[in-house]
Amino acid sequence: MAILEVHDIEKHFGATHVLEDISFSLEQGQALAIIGSSGSGKTTLLRCLNFLETPDRGRILVNGETLFDAADPRTQLESEIRKKRLHFGLVFQNFNLFPQYTALQNVTLARELLAKERGGESREAILEAGKALLAQMGLADRASHYPHQLSGGQQQRVAIARALALQPDILCFDEPTSALDPELTGEVLRVIRGLSEQRTTMIIVTHEMAFARDVADQVIFMDGGVIVEQGDPRQVIDHPREERTRQFLSRYEEG
Amino acid sequence: MFETVLGALTMGFLQTLKLFAVTLIGAIPLGLVVSFGSMSRFTPLRWLTRTVVWVIRGTPLMLQLLIIFFIPGQWMGSSPWPSGESGRFLAAAIAFIINYACYFSEIYRGGIQSVPVGQQEAGLVLGMTRRQIFFKVTLLQMIKRIVPPMSNEIITLVKDTSIARIISLQEVIWAGYAFLKGSHGYSGLTWPLFFTGVYYLIFNGGLTLLFGWVEKKLDYFR
Repeated sequence: MAILEVHDIEKHFGATHVLEDISFSLEQGQALAIIGSSGSGKTTLLRCLNFLETPDRGRILVNGETLFDAADPRTQLESEIRKKRLHFGLVFQNFNLFPQYTALQNVTLARELLAKERGGESREAILEAGKALLAQMGLADRASHYPHQLSGGQQQRVAIARALALQPDILCFDEPTSALDPELTGEVLRVIRGLSEQRTTMIIVTHEMAFARDVADQVIFMDGGVIVEQGDPRQVIDHPREERTRQFLSRYEEG
Repeated sequence: MFETVLGALTMGFLQTLKLFAVTLIGAIPLGLVVSFGSMSRFTPLRWLTRTVVWVIRGTPLMLQLLIIFFIPGQWMGSSPWPSGESGRFLAAAIAFIINYACYFSEIYRGGIQSVPVGQQEAGLVLGMTRRQIFFKVTLLQMIKRIVPPMSNEIITLVKDTSIARIISLQEVIWAGYAFLKGSHGYSGLTWPLFFTGVYYLIFNGGLTLLFGWVEKKLDYFR
């Protein structure tokens, strides 16, 4: 059974249709890459999945459970949405780390707040888990650094650890390397590649075509708010069927 | 003579400090409530709050103080304020708290709105409640940004307390002026009035150091 099913998502801002007829599904342990030019709706789609935007139409199911149904207001209660967000993690383009907390505190804050609310995990266990995540990101020696003391690539890796700390079913990346200097993208891509080798279920919005082809099990090409083409990365990126995909990719190769 | 003057001025300055402290204690939290009102998603509340802030900031504190102190008595026949210094203090405190809460609210609003929206979104996707996001994420970043404008406003408040003299609150300038006009067996003394300035200077010097220290304390993040 698919871990994520998205059916007929539609979103408009005023008269502008940002998303139309978006449907796809994702299997547990798979990575989905979403490519497309700026303004094609990729980011809005991720924001819909994380309940930062409310779609005007459509349904979102995780593990067969309907998390969102635009036709059913009961699925849109503020109190419920908070819980549903935890199925998803989101890594932002601009990291959005909390500047007043150390790397480790950034990773553990939300989990500690949840544990306080629901009981369960001890503070020590959460700290240990946080340290282990930072170590996994290659940042064991940066735990007590504040964000402004870290490079962009390090900040983004802390942000990934922060998202992982809540053990989301699906981890989303919104152009995770677009705000980085070119020499720093490698370390972040390596970490994401590592996650994909551990079969972390991921959705990655990216402009790194070579990376998408290597890491993704499935690629979606979006343009003007619709899915133009989707399928196996070698097919979509190397042998696109649609003219629009070809145009987009050729512009990419020219640089 | 010096000791008499010093004693009287110190008594006056204690009243100044009391008004200063009570105003801060009232206006700092009230300002936060007002700032939430002025950012409310409920349009009527937002406009009502913003209108109140416009009126309070757009008219002199002295006028507001006179209205609060004298008008209720005129309209209701008898003044609601207790007689004597305690009544004057109460009226002054209320006028000052309302006035300063409005100024503070605008500083808070600027502070809150200057925290990038991504901070709030990061908190949301981590499953935090809006309350947790405000207290655990936004608040300290906002405080860091508002320390310089708040220190400005608070130093102005120290000096603005002298406006309460218009309803004869016995603050330090009132006490200094008394020696010019005639009191404690002296009259025509000008230096006590000048000397009141020393109190303000010393106290504001201390405040400046304090705010500098706070800014430094918050320097550990950007």
